[in-house]
Amino acid sequence: MHEPILRNLLQQELIAPEDAEKIVLFESKKPFSLHWELKTLLYLGVLLLNIGLGFLIYENIDTIGHAVIIALIGAISAACFWYALRHRQPFSMGEVKSPTHFYDYILLLGCLTFLIMEGYLQYQYGIFGTRYGLATFIPMVLFFALAYWLDNRGVLSMGITALAAWLGITVTPQDLLTHNDFNSAAIVHTGVFLGMLLTVVPFLSERWGLKKHFSLTYLNFGVHILMISTLAGMMVLGLTLIYFLLLCLSVGFFLWYARTRNSLYFLTVAVLYGYIGLTYMLIVHTDGLGFDYIFYLFYFMLSCAGVIVFLTNYKRFIKTDKP
Amino acid sequence: MIAYNSNWLDALLTKDTAQKWHKKGLLSDEKWQAIEAAYTSNFYSPNIFVRIGLAIFTLILLMAAGGLVAVFFEPNSEMGLSIFSLFWGVICVLVLELRVIQPGRHYGSGIDDMFLYVAIGAFLTGLCSPLDYTTPTLVYYCIAWPFLVAGSIRYIDRLLAVAAFVCSMGIVLLAVKEIPRLALYLLPFAGMLFSAAVYIFSKQGQARYGWRHWNGILMVAELLALVTFYASGNYWVVQQAGADFFQLETVPMAWFFWAFTFIVPFLYIFAGLRRKDRHLLDIGLGCVAAAVFSFRYYYHVLPLTWATVICGAVLFVTAYFSIRYLHQNEGGAYSYEEDSETTLLQEIEQQLIEQTIVNQPGPTPEKTESFGGGQFGGGGAGDSF
Repeated sequence: MHEPILRNLLQQELIAPEDAEKIVLFESKKPFSLHWELKTLLYLGVLLLNIGLGFLIYENIDTIGHAVIIALIGAISAACFWYALRHRQPFSMGEVKSPTHFYDYILLLGCLTFLIMEGYLQYQYGIFGTRYGLATFIPMVLFFALAYWLDNRGVLSMGITALAAWLGITVTPQDLLTHNDFNSAAIVHTGVFLGMLLTVVPFLSERWGLKKHFSLTYLNFGVHILMISTLAGMMVLGLTLIYFLLLCLSVGFFLWYARTRNSLYFLTVAVLYGYIGLTYMLIVHTDGLGFDYIFYLFYFMLSCAGVIVFLTNYKRFIKTDKP
Repeated sequence: MIAYNSNWLDALLTKDTAQKWHKKGLLSDEKWQAIEAAYTSNFYSPNIFVRIGLAIFTLILLMAAGGLVAVFFEPNSEMGLSIFSLFWGVICVLVLELRVIQPGRHYGSGIDDMFLYVAIGAFLTGLCSPLDYTTPTLVYYCIAWPFLVAGSIRYIDRLLAVAAFVCSMGIVLLAVKEIPRLALYLLPFAGMLFSAAVYIFSKQGQARYGWRHWNGILMVAELLALVTFYASGNYWVVQQAGADFFQLETVPMAWFFWAFTFIVPFLYIFAGLRRKDRHLLDIGLGCVAAAVFSFRYYYHVLPLTWATVICGAVLFVTAYFSIRYLHQNEGGAYSYEEDSETTLLQEIEQQLIEQTIVNQPGPTPEKTESFGGGQFGGGGAGDSF
């Protein structure tokens, strides 16, 4: 398909003949990239190998013994971390390019096997007893440290997940947890707090110039945790007004963020969550008034039309000229 | 024939191609800017996230609006409902053609996609709902076919192309299934023949410059044809179909289908590498997995755990040494460098990164198109109601 295009461009003298020659040569000689295929095969291989070995160990647990298996998993984890540390790039406040093709995956594998080892130890020997908080605290600290030290966003995501788990476990009283009765108010409050925290962190790190490229990971977690927690507060806890106000504030905040940083992702996400909250408020508060369903049909039609007009005009909303 | 402005589609195609050359350093910055300036397209095609958002809201809007219109018409008979559906389909197409695409300049914005799907859905509901319960499935397929094909041709929509392919295949197989006695023997070959025909058609179509705007949907057809060709002869598929439709326990000519199951994937891979055809190669790799699963379904030669370990080890070692080989032999016909052609997933990843980390204000391609605020006055579908 490129030949007619090249011919057109040549005719219109948008491409110089010598450039065209280069392009023709390139198109006929360009190598066929097997990157995606080989990488997929590699992952699949690792995945299958892990599953297979896992089952193999599980089947032979009587003859091998737990200690050996834990030692084996620990050894894999340690080997991965050793590799990661040996090949690490010097620390920098900014972004660091991974030194080798496999580096990021080996580091991630090390973190995953560390988690498995810890879980196994707890399950078999109960080393943490009932102090579940500690069990999530250790990987959290480890993952955050590794993420910042070795500059890896995947590990950062795992660290944030561990943070969420740690907070969730810490705020939930033990007896509630063991009775399988989750105190939803505590969870929602924690969610709101965590969401705000994760949203504030990137601004601080941008201020201090520390790993600015982590912002997206933090904000991505932050926006969803914050919005879902406030929506849960509205719907589950029934404290509609307080949480609706909170939701409006967070939607406003992310719209502002989208506007100043021209991020269409956060624009769409904020609009979607805001719309869900608004619609819920309307339905709950008009429930007793006995409106006809035609009213709701009109509401959906007009509100959606409004949102569509807003979204299609995003160019006006977003400041494209700001650096 | 195409609803969208074909000059703009051409401009997009030219710019995309030239951009690849520019990224490879084959075009200077000035030349690239000149090409960009010469080929302007005024489509409104927002970024993927906005597109998803717009699609969601358009769908709710259309459902609410349809509900409202239905309230005023009050179709209470079955006939009335189907006439109403057809009417609603016509309205959707009219709005799509006369508001969304022409003055609104939407192209892949989520709004035009959703209008199209809702319209097709309404037409099919309107035509199929009066049918009797005893109507054979073939009739439904035949009713849907013209809409799906026409829709994918006029609106160059890939999802509709998938539906059209599935529908065509269904018609062929259901028709062959009605042949008395021979159906059992003919079905797999009918599937293969149909797939091969579609494959050749779409390959030749993609080579035609006149059909360049349909390249995307022809590519979809090509991929699906490769999959269905293999599936038609795969032993597991044939055996299951035989058991379901004809209560047959054993497959006639089992040796042929077993051979097909194992040889075709390697032929795909070999041909893919030979011709540097990524589709053949990728589908071939998938088919190898399908072949292994088919085999294990009937013969448990190894315990599952050992099979997994061995498969994993073989895959890992193959991939590892291939990567090493490619690294050591750079400059050959194959490489491990990442291709400039991006898949949808990579595109999303890239946009996420570009959108959110805007510390480097590099001009992203969409921003350079000149549909700034003023001229785009509420071209959204919202106005038309």
